[in-house]
Amino acid sequence: MSVTGLAATAARAPFTGRARREVLFCVLALPLSLPLPFLGFIGTISLAAGNSSWRVVLVAVAVAALVMVLLVATGAARSLAGACRTLAGSLLGEQVAAPPPRAGARLTDGPGWRAMAYLMLRLPTGLLEGYAVAVFWLAGLVNLTYPFWWLSFRNHSPGVQLSPVVVITPFDWLGGHFQVTTFPGTFAACGAGVGMLLAAPWVTRTVVAADRWLIRGLLGPGRMAQRLRDLEQTRALAVDDAAARLRRLERDLHDGAQIGLATLAMNLGMARKKLGDHGDEVPDLAAARELVGAALQGAKDALGELRELARGIHPPVLDRGLTDALASLAATSAIPAELTVSVPVRPTPAIETIAYFCAAELLANAAKHSAANTITIKVTERAGYLALEVTDDGRGGADPSGGSGLAGLAQRVAVVDGRLDIASPAGGPTRITVELPLRAG
Amino acid sequence: MRVVIAEDAALFRAGLVRLLEDEGHTVCAAVADGDALLAEVAAHRPDVVVADIRMPPGYTDEGLRAALELRRTHPGTAVLMLSQYIETRYAAELLHGSAAGVGYLLKDRVADVTEFTEAVVRVAAGGTALDREVVSQLLTASRHAGDLDPLTPRERDVLALMAEGRSNAGIAAALVLTLGTVEKHVASIFAKLGLPACQTDNRRVLAVLRYLGDG
Repeated sequence: MSVTGLAATAARAPFTGRARREVLFCVLALPLSLPLPFLGFIGTISLAAGNSSWRVVLVAVAVAALVMVLLVATGAARSLAGACRTLAGSLLGEQVAAPPPRAGARLTDGPGWRAMAYLMLRLPTGLLEGYAVAVFWLAGLVNLTYPFWWLSFRNHSPGVQLSPVVVITPFDWLGGHFQVTTFPGTFAACGAGVGMLLAAPWVTRTVVAADRWLIRGLLGPGRMAQRLRDLEQTRALAVDDAAARLRRLERDLHDGAQIGLATLAMNLGMARKKLGDHGDEVPDLAAARELVGAALQGAKDALGELRELARGIHPPVLDRGLTDALASLAATSAIPAELTVSVPVRPTPAIETIAYFCAAELLANAAKHSAANTITIKVTERAGYLALEVTDDGRGGADPSGGSGLAGLAQRVAVVDGRLDIASPAGGPTRITVELPLRAG
Repeated sequence: MRVVIAEDAALFRAGLVRLLEDEGHTVCAAVADGDALLAEVAAHRPDVVVADIRMPPGYTDEGLRAALELRRTHPGTAVLMLSQYIETRYAAELLHGSAAGVGYLLKDRVADVTEFTEAVVRVAAGGTALDREVVSQLLTASRHAGDLDPLTPRERDVLALMAEGRSNAGIAAALVLTLGTVEKHVASIFAKLGLPACQTDNRRVLAVLRYLGDG
C-alpha cells in the first residue's frame, strides 16, 4: 500500500461502519462489566466501614464466592454471557455457537462456570473498552469544539489574564495536564482532538480484539461439546447418505434390471404363444424367433445392469487391496491416469472402500469437467493418515459449491474424520487431496 | 376393445402395445406419464386403461392418482394398474366404493399372455382383477385374526380366486374342478362366513374384500 493509501485508510477509519459497530459494542456491553461478585466484595468491605481487618476481607471473599455460585446455579451467568455473545455476534460478526443446555447438576455446569469467568474478566476488558470510548472518542470530539466554546464564553477584553482551561488527553494519567490559556491555544486542543479521533478506531479495535478472544475461548460450546456437535452432524450426514444410497439403489433396480426382466418375460410369453400350445404346428415362427431374440437381448442387458449395480455397491477387486482396486480403476479411466501407491500399512476395509470411491468419483469428475490430458493418482501414508492425491492438468476451477459432487465427497470423508483439500485455480492444474485415518473409528 | 396405455419404460410399453394388438385389441394411444394419460382418455374414450403406478415426473404414484381421477371423471372407462410391487394401500384406494372395472396386477403377470389378456378383457367388461399377491396379503391378515378358521383348505383356495375377481368358470378352470363343485364351494363359503349371496361377480368380489378388511 502506498503512503497516500495508508493516509487515506487512516483518515477514513473513524468513519467506517466497523468503527461504529465496535463503539456501539463497547457502550452496550459496558453495563455487563460490573460483575455482581465484585460488587458483593466491595459492598461487604464498605459495610465494615473502613475496618479492613483480614476477617472482613475473608467475609467479603466468601460473599463474592456465594454470589458466583448463585449466578451459576440460577443460570443467570449463562444468560448474561449469552447477551454478550449475541451482541458480539450481531455487532462484531463474531459467530460463536451457544453451548449445549445444562445436562448435569446445577453446580457442575462447565459452560456456566466459563460464562462466570468471562463475566469476571469483563471487569478489566469492559473498563478498557469504556476508557477507549470515553477518552479517545468522546474527549476527542469535545476537544474539536474548544475554539467554538472559547469564542462563545471567553469573550474578554485584550490584556486580561484568564485562568487556564484543562484539555483531556489520553496521557492525563501520566500526571501534568494539557492546559490552554489563549484562543490560538484552543487550536492545539483541536489538533489533539483530531489525533485522538484518528487513533480511536485502532484503540477500540485492539481492546475489542481482546474481548473477542475471551468470547471465543469462554462462551463457545467447549472442546468436547464442539466435538460432540461435529460427531452428531457427521452422523446425521452419514445416516442421510446411507438412506439416499438405498433409495438410489431401489430406483436403479426398479428402472433397470427389474423392468428389463419383466419385459423379457413378456417377450418370452408372447413367443410361447406364437409357437403354439402343442404339436409340431407353429402358428408364427418368424414372430416367435424375433421375440426370443428380443428376450435374449433383454437378458444380456439386465445382466449387464446388475453387474454394474453390484460393482457400484462393492467392487470385488477391493478385496485384494486398495492398490489392485485403484490400478484397475486407473486402467479404465477415460483420461490416461498414472498411479503410484506407497502405503506400508494396509488401512481397514471401510477406509479402503471410501478411498476407492473417492478416487472413482474424482476420476469421473475430471473426465466430465477438467478437459485434462493426464491424471496422476498418488497414495501415500502420512502420520497415521492415508493421503490420496488426484492431480490433473486440466482447466481447473473446481468448486465444491458447483454441484460437482465434491461437497458430497467432503461430507462422506468427514464421517471418518477425514479431510478433503481442493487446490484448483482457474486455468489449472487441479489437485484434490483426500486424507483418511488408516482405521475408521 | 379399445385401450390406452401409460407406461414410462419404453421397451415394456412397446411390448404391451404389441401384445394387446396381437390379441386383436386396438391401442388408441401409448403414453409415458399421468397427464398425457388423462388427455388421451378424454380424446379417445377407451374401454380400458392399462397404466403403470409409478411414472414421471415424481416417480411415486402419479399413475394411481391419474387412475383415481379417471374413476371420477370417466366412470365408463375401466382401469387396470400395473406395478413392480404390491401395496395393499393402493389396492384399497382403487377399490374404494366399487370394484367394478378395476384391476391391480404385478407386471410379472404379463408374461402369462392369455391370463393377462383375459384380465384386461374382464376389467374392461366391468369385472375385477386383483393380483394374487394382494389377495394373499389380505388373506394372511384375516387368517391371523382367525376369521378363516371355519373354511376347508379347498374353500380357502376358492375364496382367494373369488377375491382376485374370477368368475365361477374361471375358478373351475384354475383349480381343475367342475362348475358344479365350484358353485357348491362358493355357497358353503358364503354360508360359513355369513355373507349375503350375490348374483354378479363384482358385487361378490366387493363382499369378499369387505370381509377380508379391504375395499
